[in-house]
Amino acid sequence: MELNISRLRKLLLMLVMVFSFTIIHAQEKVVTGLVTDANDGMGIPGVSVVVKGTTIGTTTDIDGNYTISVDANATIIYSFVGYRPQEILVGSQPQINVILSIETENLSEVVVIGYGTVKKEDKTGSVTSISSKDFNKGNITSPQDLLVGKSAGVVITSAGGAPGSGSTIRIRGGSSFNASNDPLIIVDGMPIESVGNNVSGSSNALSFINPNDIETFTVLKDASSTAIYGSRASNGVIIITTKKGKKGSPLKVNYSGSVSVASAIDYTDVYSGDQLRKIANDNRSLYDPLVYDKLGTENTDWQKEIFRTAVSHDHNLAFSGSKKNIPYRISLGYTDQTGILENTDMQRYTGSLNLNPTFLNDDLKVNMNAKFMMTNNNFGDDGAIGSAISMDPTQPIYDDNADSAGYYQWQNYGANLGTPNPLEQAMAVNNTSDVYRIVGNLKLNYTLPFLREMQANLNIATDYTESDGQNNRPTTSPSTLVPSAWGKLSDYTAKNKNNLLDFYLNYKKEFNEDNRLDVTAGYSWQHFERESTNYTRSIEDADHPLQVDNDTESETENYLVSFFGRMNYAFKNKYLLTGTFRYDGSSRFSEDNRWGFFPSAAFAWKMHEESFLKDVDAVSNLKLRIGWGITGQQDISDNDYPYQAQYITAQQGYYYRINGQFIPTLRPNTYDPDIKWEETTTQNIALDFGFLNNRINGSIDYYFRETKNLLNNVTIPSGSNFSNRLYTNVGSLENKGIEISLNLVAISTPDMSLNIGMNYTHNDNKLTKLLLTDDPEYIGVTEGGGMTGVRQITRVGDAAHSFFVNSQVYDANGNPIEGLYDDLAGNGGVISGDNANKYIYHNPTAEDIFGLSARFNYKQFDFSTSLRANIGNYVLNQVAAGASYDQMQQIGYWKNMPTYLSETNFVKRQFTSDYFIQNASFLKMDNLSAGYTFEKFAGKDINARVSFTVQNVFTITNYDGLDPEVEGGVDDNFYPRPRTFTMGVNLTF
Amino acid sequence: MKKIYIIFGILITALMYTSCVDDLDVKPTDPNKILAGNLGDDPAYMEQTLAKLYASFIISGQGDGDADITSSDDGFFITMRALWNLQTITTDEGINAWGDVGISDLNTQTWSAQNPFLTAVYQRLSLSVTYANDFLNVTAGSTEPNIIQYRAEARYLRAFAYYWLMDLFANPPFTTEEDGVGKYFPEQIQRADLFEFIVAELKAIEPDLGEPGFSYPQADKGSCWMLLAKTYLNAEVYTGTAQWDECKTYCDKVIASPAYSLATDYRQNFSADNDRYHGNNEMIFAFAEDGVNTQGNGGITFIIESSSDATYIRAEDYHGLTSNTNWNGNRARKDLMNILVDTIAVYGNNPVPATDTIFAQCPDGRVFLRQKRSINIPTPSASGDFGIGVYKFTAKNHDGSQADNYSPTFASTDFPVFRLADAYLMRAEALFNTTGAGAAVADINIVRERAYGDDSGNITAGELTADFILDERAREFYYEGQRRTDLVRFGQFTDGDYHWQWKGGTFNGTSTSSHLDIFPIPGDEISANPNIKQNDGY
Repeated sequence: MELNISRLRKLLLMLVMVFSFTIIHAQEKVVTGLVTDANDGMGIPGVSVVVKGTTIGTTTDIDGNYTISVDANATIIYSFVGYRPQEILVGSQPQINVILSIETENLSEVVVIGYGTVKKEDKTGSVTSISSKDFNKGNITSPQDLLVGKSAGVVITSAGGAPGSGSTIRIRGGSSFNASNDPLIIVDGMPIESVGNNVSGSSNALSFINPNDIETFTVLKDASSTAIYGSRASNGVIIITTKKGKKGSPLKVNYSGSVSVASAIDYTDVYSGDQLRKIANDNRSLYDPLVYDKLGTENTDWQKEIFRTAVSHDHNLAFSGSKKNIPYRISLGYTDQTGILENTDMQRYTGSLNLNPTFLNDDLKVNMNAKFMMTNNNFGDDGAIGSAISMDPTQPIYDDNADSAGYYQWQNYGANLGTPNPLEQAMAVNNTSDVYRIVGNLKLNYTLPFLREMQANLNIATDYTESDGQNNRPTTSPSTLVPSAWGKLSDYTAKNKNNLLDFYLNYKKEFNEDNRLDVTAGYSWQHFERESTNYTRSIEDADHPLQVDNDTESETENYLVSFFGRMNYAFKNKYLLTGTFRYDGSSRFSEDNRWGFFPSAAFAWKMHEESFLKDVDAVSNLKLRIGWGITGQQDISDNDYPYQAQYITAQQGYYYRINGQFIPTLRPNTYDPDIKWEETTTQNIALDFGFLNNRINGSIDYYFRETKNLLNNVTIPSGSNFSNRLYTNVGSLENKGIEISLNLVAISTPDMSLNIGMNYTHNDNKLTKLLLTDDPEYIGVTEGGGMTGVRQITRVGDAAHSFFVNSQVYDANGNPIEGLYDDLAGNGGVISGDNANKYIYHNPTAEDIFGLSARFNYKQFDFSTSLRANIGNYVLNQVAAGASYDQMQQIGYWKNMPTYLSETNFVKRQFTSDYFIQNASFLKMDNLSAGYTFEKFAGKDINARVSFTVQNVFTITNYDGLDPEVEGGVDDNFYPRPRTFTMGVNLTF
Repeated sequence: MKKIYIIFGILITALMYTSCVDDLDVKPTDPNKILAGNLGDDPAYMEQTLAKLYASFIISGQGDGDADITSSDDGFFITMRALWNLQTITTDEGINAWGDVGISDLNTQTWSAQNPFLTAVYQRLSLSVTYANDFLNVTAGSTEPNIIQYRAEARYLRAFAYYWLMDLFANPPFTTEEDGVGKYFPEQIQRADLFEFIVAELKAIEPDLGEPGFSYPQADKGSCWMLLAKTYLNAEVYTGTAQWDECKTYCDKVIASPAYSLATDYRQNFSADNDRYHGNNEMIFAFAEDGVNTQGNGGITFIIESSSDATYIRAEDYHGLTSNTNWNGNRARKDLMNILVDTIAVYGNNPVPATDTIFAQCPDGRVFLRQKRSINIPTPSASGDFGIGVYKFTAKNHDGSQADNYSPTFASTDFPVFRLADAYLMRAEALFNTTGAGAAVADINIVRERAYGDDSGNITAGELTADFILDERAREFYYEGQRRTDLVRFGQFTDGDYHWQWKGGTFNGTSTSSHLDIFPIPGDEISANPNIKQNDGY
């Protein structure tokens, strides 16, 4: 074994020599010495020997010897990956021999978990921590984007390229079918309102956090780590911790700013004006001859008109330090993001304050956080993206018609259903909102003077959001409320309030070397309130009466009251046992179903501490983890009173005449008196490993999760309830998967380092029960509109949202034959669109997901990149599926089509053909960044870094559409994700 | 130490302030949300709940996007619209051009149990039953006179829903106010048993209902008599035994009532002023629609717009609707034209000339037809520009003026369910089948005289045949959602010798299997309720 180690050391040294460029300067004094390993006394090759505060240095040779010329006042730093560094003042010594001992600090790092912290080496659950140095770079305005591709089992898909847009986060595939699949997100100890309950007018539930303020993300994945959050933990937990000031440190000011330029990568190929005219003339039998005079003479590229190159900038200023022993951090942020679609942008102002003083000889620790955010959103109208594909390219942009503010509009030419002018659609709308949010909390941690092992914790937190928006259109706009109504006015407001109180006691005792105990028990109370108003109507004037006068208001609330506890026990520092419970009460359920008990247990075995591995130096960490737990899901719908019968008042226009008066009707809503939470049981087995002083480390997790009492909107027996469907606990589903993460410190020298992180996720999702009855004929839960027919299905035995389509028949040349499908049911008759003849053909979820990130530093240069690959995800290319020749002429107007049509040559639309379900596996380079750091900028004590980042660098895919990454799997003209180039500067002084 | 006490003080206060497990008992704070227990708080709630029972037939729900049932399209699957489709486009009266799932199957009588229109009608009618059951439970035991009347109306609407379930699906699930709301499997009732229930219910509520015309469009005694007459008219279909005398009894009551008289102008029944508030005393029972208050794409707005197109029948010109117009789906088959237009008399037994596209020479005032691109429809789903356009219903007043509560999008025309003319024609049919043609011809001629404006269209007893009655019903009630029931009663809907264009999927029409006289129980229901057996032949 010894031999192997020394071989490895030699190998490392060679690597180091190849990459290192050491410059030896003329110095006053020559110092020599030997660096040895504390463990075995052997010389360590490749140790970096650097004069503190400079870049002057050398490395040890193959036997551990070094020579360096230094000033007598200098301090030398000896460092080597995996060893604790040492600093030695040179003084008069001519020879300095140093003994380095193995550093296990990255294992003794503390990880934040639910209601506490745990040493990394002692964790028993699947917990991943990602700190700021590993975050994605570039023009990032949403915290979620920092994390994309960084953690196995965490899949983050942005909604599109709109400024400030949100993302969906799925941890281990999502445990639910109909209820929320969003993880619980906790910011500085405050569980925030679920993503699904985000206020209207705000497109991103996490946008209140300035990404620059975030210190770490901790992702809790298995039940043994999440079950302490009980009924909100089934989809995993993400704990966000923001930066804090450090005790005793002087004032440090940090400025970071960036300017970025974004543009669309590609447009959808559509026919030009000339091509459309030719198609119209070549297919006269398809079209009404009376509409030919409506064809124009232009060649307008509508997509070019609505997209632009967008310039955005971002500025952040942070002050941190310690004043009168009160550590503080204050930050201010300003983001001005412009979208690539005309008339879309966002301005955001953020502020945060963190104070963490201690009192009573550090017995009382106080942590106060306050975050403030104000955002002005301009959402514009992304419907213009679809219109730009459909709008007749033979028409001009402008025709000076005063009725439509100078824009060409079909409505002026007798086609009142005509495609709206895309440019007008984008520009004329006033779809804006202002969102304010304040999140604050006060945490007290008090060590009891009479029982030093006991700490009392109190956390009081509040989260308040208010939004105010409008979505208005002028009278000259055809894209109004209902066609030809006189303009549109729509105002809305929303308010979310969320208050929290947690109190818990923590008892920590090391009885002797062999027995450690850490027990936590507490109580939590949380209250959520949501209010919203929406008033929509037409513009009213002397000639035009008020139309569509919809005024709605809603107000709702829910409470959670919980008791929780955890016990960690370590025996001989080898065997770790964790047990947790949460007893949760939710106001969303009837008294009979209100309380749920969610236990978990985990066991970990630190194998590397065993005698048979303890002396094997190559193995620095080897830990087996086994966990089991039950979690729940109480965020089951947007109805906070699902177990009670409610009577809903009708809106204006939905009245009926009783006793001569039109009165609003009152309808009992469907409800299930016995509704309750979904329950997910998770089993997890994992191996954590670290080799060569953790230069190679990682973990492998296998999990099996089963959700019972799965909520499904099932068709219920007619006559038994107040609708045809009831949302009720009927089903079950399974997720099983493997996660592998691997981190490599490939190079580590004073001048150069290369860190590589890789992760792999494989998840299989399968529905196992969906109905009240066991009906073998049950087709499943189908998705698809009246026009397109059913195209997706969720049924027992298959993955959720699988594509459900007709099997296309092809001709000898491999081209699809229009309307001809395999008669799978063998019943003859019309096959197209008939569910009996459809089959399951793939699903939108990727089977295998890979993430790769790399950081490379050379002297003052740094480079980083993130790549991501999804394999086995399929997309329904709705842009192509909607294309047919007969649709190019509509009632009194012409319509453009994507050029996919020239491949299919379909005369009629074939929505249900499997031809349009395409393999959308992809490899994406999300970002590529280069930076340079000036250590003494302008000769002053300023640390400066400049950087250049490209986001959305490239995508390799066989998918025909613009972007293979489609949330939900139906590609229907979403806001394209742009390619962004960012110049950034970061100053610290 | 003092500080510690302060801190603990804060802790304990905070805990006491919030440590309320009782917080979990929440009641809605939203004033728009009322719990079942609050329904007694305000007498207006009872009127509003009753209003819902009516509205559930004619509009989608409580607002845009808040439909009563879950379906792929709120507007498509409103009870009266989907029911109209089942009663009309399955027959010679209509054929629809749209490609939406399920439509072409109705056009050619090739439906399956998965047809979404069948499913929607079945589920929505059952839902109207459940709403009524709930209303009866909520108001149980009340002695207030108006509540007693409301309860009778609720039972009327439940009987009305059951009537259609019996007519279309024969053997639906059966629930009454005895059954609760939740997750359970209702029992199936047989058609003949349901017939008995409907008849018994209607007779039981008759005394509690308002006098004829007391508060249109609420159900009253006249509505009750008409539904009884209609049920008895089809008794042989439902039970195997005809009950013509009972049918006549209730027609007599309607005709004898001073509240009812035929409109002078046939068209008024299909115009925005077709309600009793505008003096149309022919209307007995209708589902009200209103451009401002009761909007939706479910009733007459649907019939008007789906039958309008940009070329031949422009809704802007014909009906005064200017917004979201000309859906170009429904038109009649040429067979209806042949019934409506007496080509022997008008065109000398020659084909209708393309020059008379609006049948201008036709003396029957009930012809609101227009020839489109061609009389024949080349394929079942061919463009709505082919076939015979129908513009019988309109959003204008019958004199062409603009409707009260005018909306450019939604018609204010009520959906006629029972008109006095139907009492005459039902009585004629009852008499024809009992006493004979001589007794029946007078009632036929009352209806025809109004149509022709004079007695020029009158017929003699010798000319009166069963086929004539069936045809006369088509002439009087086309596009009013009655045709399928009439064809079934006369044995012509499926395996009779009457083959209209595209019946059974062939251009000249073919006979179809008689099991299609009854629709299948929707597949969704068979899946969801093990107590329900599928109808024969499916």
